[in-house]
Amino acid sequence: MYIGIDVGGTSTNAVLLDDGLVKASATVPSRDDIITSLMEALDRIMKGVPAELIERVVFSTTLITNLIAEKKYDPVGIILIPGPGLSHVHYQYNTDTLFISGAMDYRGREIMPLRDQEIANAISCLSTKGYKKVAVVGKFSSRNNKHEKEVASRIKSLHPDWHVEMGHQVAGQLNFPRRVVSTMLACATRDKYSFFVESVQAALNRRGVEGLVYILKADGGTMPLSKVTGVPIETIFSGPAASTLGVQALIPPGETAVVVDIGGTTTDLALILSGQPLLSSRGAPVYDQLTQVRALAVKSVAVGGDSIVERVGKEILVYSERLGAPFCLGGPMPTPTDALRVLGLTRLGNAKKALEAMDMLGQPLGMSHSEVAQRIINMVIDLVVQEIEAIFKQWEQEPAYRVWEVLQKRKERPNMVVGVGGAASGFITQIAAKIGANPVIPPYAQVANAIGAAVAVPTLQVNLRADTEQGYYTIEQEGYQGKIEKDPFTEEDALLLAGEWLKKRAEKYGLNQAVEKKEFTRRDVFTMVRNWITTGRIYDISVQTPRGIIGHIGARGGFSD
Amino acid sequence: MNKKTGLIFFPAFDWAISPTHPEREERLLYTRDQIFEEGVMDLPQIHEYAPRLASLHDVSRTHFCVPRVQSQVTEAHLIAAGSTLQLGDSVVSGEIKNGFAMVRPPGHHAMRVVHGNRGFCSINNEAILVEYLRRRHGIRKIAIVDSDAHHGDGTQDLFYHDPDVLFISFHQDGRTIFPGTGFTNELGGPGAYARTLNVPLPPGTADETFMYVVDNLVLPVVKDFQPEIIINSAGQDNHYTDPLGSMRFTARAYADFTKKLKPHLAVLEGGYAIETALPYINLAIILALADVDYSYVMEPDYWPGRFKESPEKTAQVHRMVEQLLESWANRDKVDIPKIFGVGKYYQRKKFIYYDTDYIEEEQIEKVRMCADCPGYIIIESRAERGYRAPVRIYAVSIPFQACHSCQSEAYDVYEQAKKQGECDYIYMQDKSTDTCITYEKDKGQEWVSEG
Ligand SMILES: [Zn+2]
Ligand SMILES: [Zn+2]
Repeated sequence: MYIGIDVGGTSTNAVLLDDGLVKASATVPSRDDIITSLMEALDRIMKGVPAELIERVVFSTTLITNLIAEKKYDPVGIILIPGPGLSHVHYQYNTDTLFISGAMDYRGREIMPLRDQEIANAISCLSTKGYKKVAVVGKFSSRNNKHEKEVASRIKSLHPDWHVEMGHQVAGQLNFPRRVVSTMLACATRDKYSFFVESVQAALNRRGVEGLVYILKADGGTMPLSKVTGVPIETIFSGPAASTLGVQALIPPGETAVVVDIGGTTTDLALILSGQPLLSSRGAPVYDQLTQVRALAVKSVAVGGDSIVERVGKEILVYSERLGAPFCLGGPMPTPTDALRVLGLTRLGNAKKALEAMDMLGQPLGMSHSEVAQRIINMVIDLVVQEIEAIFKQWEQEPAYRVWEVLQKRKERPNMVVGVGGAASGFITQIAAKIGANPVIPPYAQVANAIGAAVAVPTLQVNLRADTEQGYYTIEQEGYQGKIEKDPFTEEDALLLAGEWLKKRAEKYGLNQAVEKKEFTRRDVFTMVRNWITTGRIYDISVQTPRGIIGHIGARGGFSD
Repeated sequence: MNKKTGLIFFPAFDWAISPTHPEREERLLYTRDQIFEEGVMDLPQIHEYAPRLASLHDVSRTHFCVPRVQSQVTEAHLIAAGSTLQLGDSVVSGEIKNGFAMVRPPGHHAMRVVHGNRGFCSINNEAILVEYLRRRHGIRKIAIVDSDAHHGDGTQDLFYHDPDVLFISFHQDGRTIFPGTGFTNELGGPGAYARTLNVPLPPGTADETFMYVVDNLVLPVVKDFQPEIIINSAGQDNHYTDPLGSMRFTARAYADFTKKLKPHLAVLEGGYAIETALPYINLAIILALADVDYSYVMEPDYWPGRFKESPEKTAQVHRMVEQLLESWANRDKVDIPKIFGVGKYYQRKKFIYYDTDYIEEEQIEKVRMCADCPGYIIIESRAERGYRAPVRIYAVSIPFQACHSCQSEAYDVYEQAKKQGECDYIYMQDKSTDTCITYEKDKGQEWVSEG
């Protein structure tokens, strides 16, 4: 049996799956102490189920997202080695940021050495200011990590108790500013995350659960809980990923659908294209800064069931703030939830109070309560529909760097609009009608995120970049830099090497079965010609385990593919 | 005025002329590394667009591809041209203030008639854009400034008789480099005199002289011309490390030039110092277009004052600029019949060599001298390619500004050529109605495409 648990900001959802059937589900309020709510949810779904039968538990948690949002972490100082390029005024991260000399180029060749004195000055400056956590990031460090390592070892020799995080270990893809943010956040959250992992492990042990324990990442893949300490920030925004995977499991395979998760104050939108959730091309944004974390493409619209509605002159406006519960549930202001109540689209709260809320808005304008309610609902729907259109347009506008990528670009439209979350039922039919798709509220929509966690499978990737002229290769995900031993080193050799690294990574995480199937998602070969002579080749290879879910939730039990 | 700079980056990582040709997969690889690592696409001033394909008709509106467009272009060509059109649309609609099509393959050596690939070019991205902007957006006056080390002979050929296109090319002296043209006396045909200006620069020319030409010739002439759109053929082989050229421009100078010219669109042309120049020049141009500080961008082996120029060469360039300024100033006062004669047609003979495909083409180009419009153009062309039988074509091109009588006369000429049956293919390209027709003698068949 599989367990999926989504620890959200307001509530914690849990499901128990048995061979493709939802055996039990529970929703409990999230408390400040995550472990307490987690145990509570766990106990409810495990009632009468022997712990030995639990093969697997997957968590999705907003813990890291919240830590970052609430700035509940120790300050992190930053040492950057940006070299020439963009002006340094672009590198601003709301913390002490020190710049030192030194530069690598795009092939990892040193073009400017480090200067000892500058390193020493930077360290003593951070020390004076009381920092004990430092992020060290150099431009092109994923092509050559020598400078980052040198600076880190200097820090360690002077301050063995400091926590130092290096850019090349956190994220390997090119994008220096995003790597800086990722490294800083990884440095900031690592301790707290380890603490969380230990508590969860202890709690599960107390309940006798000995199955494998995983955590969901922003890209919808899972990682064994105990191994993920390497990159805790990969778990940010796993909430939306959980709902999207849940929907993927609850609708038939191969569908193109929009997932609309309408909550109290925000509505999250995601796409499932021909059965596969869409990955964002940009890396997850943390507030106004982009990170290098691979994530599903999720768009958050600042409107939900509890958004406040006000009359301004002859206009009725829906704001993005929340001032408590809807009027029909004892709140201070009218909300879209009140409008749904008046139109009979929900049974939530007090009908008379909802009518009163509409009259407050409508009477000065001479509008009936149902007219007002319909107008509010239309405004919310228009907003959501606009964003859905924008999301599709953005997807069509994704850049492409190869001829075949341009040629295979297709226009796709959703067959269905799938509603999950509290206020979904009232809106989905009309949203779907507007974009010409079928409305779907799947069974268990309320706990779709927990289902998503339960069905998520591990994802592993390896990006190999080999430069035969310089005789070395790098593995982005590992921050590894190694010598090419074979000569000549052919494309076949590069593919083999990438495959071996995927296996190595799988072993490291205890995911050996995951690599039985693998797919190469990129295999670029660049012939290097210098002075009319071929001097080497660059191979860019990406290999990964297939993305997907364990299976679809069947109506009569048994996972279906 | 907070509009963004649009970028289309299409490095065509799966396309090459041949694995070891300068125009191969690797060409924009280090540019990609540099701009991705800098996070340029994430800057709030930048908007990255997806590439798109140009239609075959977009190509036919500009070129006579022999025998047809499909036989001269690959999908990569259509994407490079289409990406340029995408940015053109976005500039005209006001979505962006300017844009940079960093695309492969390049195009500025592609002429009106295309028998094959010359100078790594098959179709002319900027010229296709010009015809598109006119047809789709009604834009008339356009300036093209070509900053490639090689003379933009294709672009010159396409607009030689068009008074509404100002074409300025500065480049390494044609006596020392492909394609061997682009001298100061090539000033445009009778109907477009001095709308073509060439500045052949001596090998070894460095930033100071480059800026002299920009400040004293390019900027004042472009300003005087008052174009609706300015396009920069942004070739980067004037860089001091380029293996094909012998010039000494720096990335910084390219950025300064961009900042001064303020092109609406820059379109990548040549540039084969793919490691030592392209990553730095492309980054600097992007930043200059987006009005972002580019003073931190520098080649690793450059130091200020590295290149000194000889005073004689500098003086020679100053004299040339004087002379060209005079041609420009007198463009409407010169005695056209005295230069070009008074016949019904002005005619010139051309010999064109296709260095990539080893084709030799002989061409007679005639332009109808008309008081009311730029006149239609007739081209008779014969191309030899090794042992194969030569191909003969006859082509008529009606400009978009054509007067009524030129238009109807041109159709008579086309029909006559069909009857005479001397050529393998006969083409009609009517830009005034956006109609392109191809007649194939062997099959006795005609194909029409309309925009
Ligand atoms: Zn060139
Ligand atoms: Zn005329």
